[in-house]
Amino acid sequence: MYSYDIIDQEFLEDRAAEFRGQVVARLAGDITEDQFKPLRLMNGLYLQLHAYMLRVAVPYGSLNPTQFRAFAHIARTWDKGYGHFTTRQNIQFNWIKLGDTPDILDHLAGVQMHAIQTSGNCIRNVTSDPYAGATAQEVDDPRVWSEVLRQWSTLHPEFSYLPRKFKIAVTASEIDRTAARAHDIGLKVLRGADGALGFEVMVGGGQGRTPYLAPTIKPFLPAARLISYLEAILRVYNRHGRRDNSYKARIKILVASLGAEEFGRQVEEEWLKIGEGRDLPDTELARIRGSFIRVPFETAPPHSDIFDAEHAADRSFARFVRNNVKAHKQPGYAIVEISLKAPGATPGDASAEQMDAVADLAERYGLSDIRVTHEQNLVLPHVKLDDVPAVHRALQSVGLATSNISLISDIIACPGLDYCALANARAIPVAQAIQDRFADADRAEDIGELKIKISGCINACGHHHIGHIGVLGVDKKGEEFYQLSLGGSGAEDASLASILGPALPADKVADAVDKLVETYLGLRQADERFLDTFRRAGMAPFKEAVYADAH
Amino acid sequence: MKALTANRLIDGEVVFWQAGQWVERFADAQLFADDDAAGPAAVDTAKTQPTVIVEPYLIDLTQGPAGLAPVSYRERIRALGPTNEPTHGKQAEGGAAIAALQAATGAARSTGRVDLIRRK
Repeated sequence: MYSYDIIDQEFLEDRAAEFRGQVVARLAGDITEDQFKPLRLMNGLYLQLHAYMLRVAVPYGSLNPTQFRAFAHIARTWDKGYGHFTTRQNIQFNWIKLGDTPDILDHLAGVQMHAIQTSGNCIRNVTSDPYAGATAQEVDDPRVWSEVLRQWSTLHPEFSYLPRKFKIAVTASEIDRTAARAHDIGLKVLRGADGALGFEVMVGGGQGRTPYLAPTIKPFLPAARLISYLEAILRVYNRHGRRDNSYKARIKILVASLGAEEFGRQVEEEWLKIGEGRDLPDTELARIRGSFIRVPFETAPPHSDIFDAEHAADRSFARFVRNNVKAHKQPGYAIVEISLKAPGATPGDASAEQMDAVADLAERYGLSDIRVTHEQNLVLPHVKLDDVPAVHRALQSVGLATSNISLISDIIACPGLDYCALANARAIPVAQAIQDRFADADRAEDIGELKIKISGCINACGHHHIGHIGVLGVDKKGEEFYQLSLGGSGAEDASLASILGPALPADKVADAVDKLVETYLGLRQADERFLDTFRRAGMAPFKEAVYADAH
Repeated sequence: MKALTANRLIDGEVVFWQAGQWVERFADAQLFADDDAAGPAAVDTAKTQPTVIVEPYLIDLTQGPAGLAPVSYRERIRALGPTNEPTHGKQAEGGAAIAALQAATGAARSTGRVDLIRRK
């Protein structure tokens, strides 16, 4: 894991002190709300329905137990005892007081964390693979490149006032756990024919009111040229992005209007002007890479008697293994996913006690490494097979052993109208109603992989455009209605969902999902997932099932 | 009927106007008739208190089955707290006034809120 140097540390402390002064000035009336609002947003502090909300960056979804315990401490001391993990691998605290925020930022700075660039028209926290450094699928560790981008993009003066916010994802595996094509820039690390490292560069993806999947503008960018090429992309965007209309200001609109080919041509032109002088020196890359290679794996046999005995004896453990335990690159180790989608729970929420428990487990069994996924779950990326049963039991004791990763009850939901000032409708109760409907774990496993994603407004924080089943809350004359869409994917087979039909009232959504699932089960061939059956059979049978009564 | 609401600057708490003071309970809010000039006048006064509150606006109220409640679903959530955490927010206090808000149904946007959005 990367550690700050003294300059980074002092900067964070100075920044927290600066915000303390700004809060004092605001409370004293020395600056107006219009002057103060951009300052607090630069520190991740939003005013929501019931309180302020603080969004803290979890760099590429990776953190250590000390940092995780700091979240627990914040939840316990300054919030109502919990935090909410987001679809951008960050954490949000929902009940923050303005007057407490300087103390919170001090506390975060003490563990090398902050809320800088979690808001505003700048480059936001980089998304990366939560299995980084643990999966055999990757061609390189994407955290190395994510850290390079974190350092480059943090407080970069040229890119601190972009036309609109800007999100970058880095994946290094054929299996995409980052939703790369749904980002402003998606980077896929790959090896060229000669074995050299490079990136496939995808630009212009995004969700919101006008969803696009990012087209590839450069199939292979030599790894050493990453920074200069990204600067060229951002310069073209800075020059032509629609600052006149916030609905058309994201880079996806520019790429779509110019066409990927013309956009790529302009980037190449700009890139030539920049030259190689802007690229990262090899020595600096080596220094950053050095932070990520010190994982002290033990030499262990590929099978564990302790693991196998528990697997044979405990059905709940066997279910946990089927759904939450993934293959590790190191023999004798496993990747353990921790679901934050227990029945009746708020998707993505974790209590202070749960966070402390996960920190303890990471320290004791997980090489002090914790990840946050964009699907609002947690990961212990390095657990010895011998220790997985103990981890499972410990998770059971704090209500975190739900065995449903990627199943129908593993639902993404934004905070929605229960908290968010932008929302039109609630998302959490809809998720809970669907979770209740599919609480039978055997049935959920029989249904198999099915990703439901719910957003409470068109801004699509709940990723509804890339859900196998997407649910969008809309405001129909002040009433909460929900528009269903089918066939989206944020994975390597990325696609945008298509609208099923007219929006439904809240109490009909779980029924509709049930009908969609029954239709799928009736049509399913062999090992097809819901998404596969939908792609083969098309919209018609699903639409008929949900709207038959309306005819 | 209408009431004047805002968020308190220091902590973001939802507050309501009551005869020159800001109170936390919707049940204690001052009520204005739809055509009462005192409502807009209170908004003007509120705007002179930028170190106390932010974003003051009038909300529309209607008679629900158990009493007066905000017309808008959004405003009822502000007056109660999040529906996924019934022990958080103002609803935690319980009692008849909270129950009356929870019993209210139907929804429409508050004109004051729409005006606020339009201004942005």
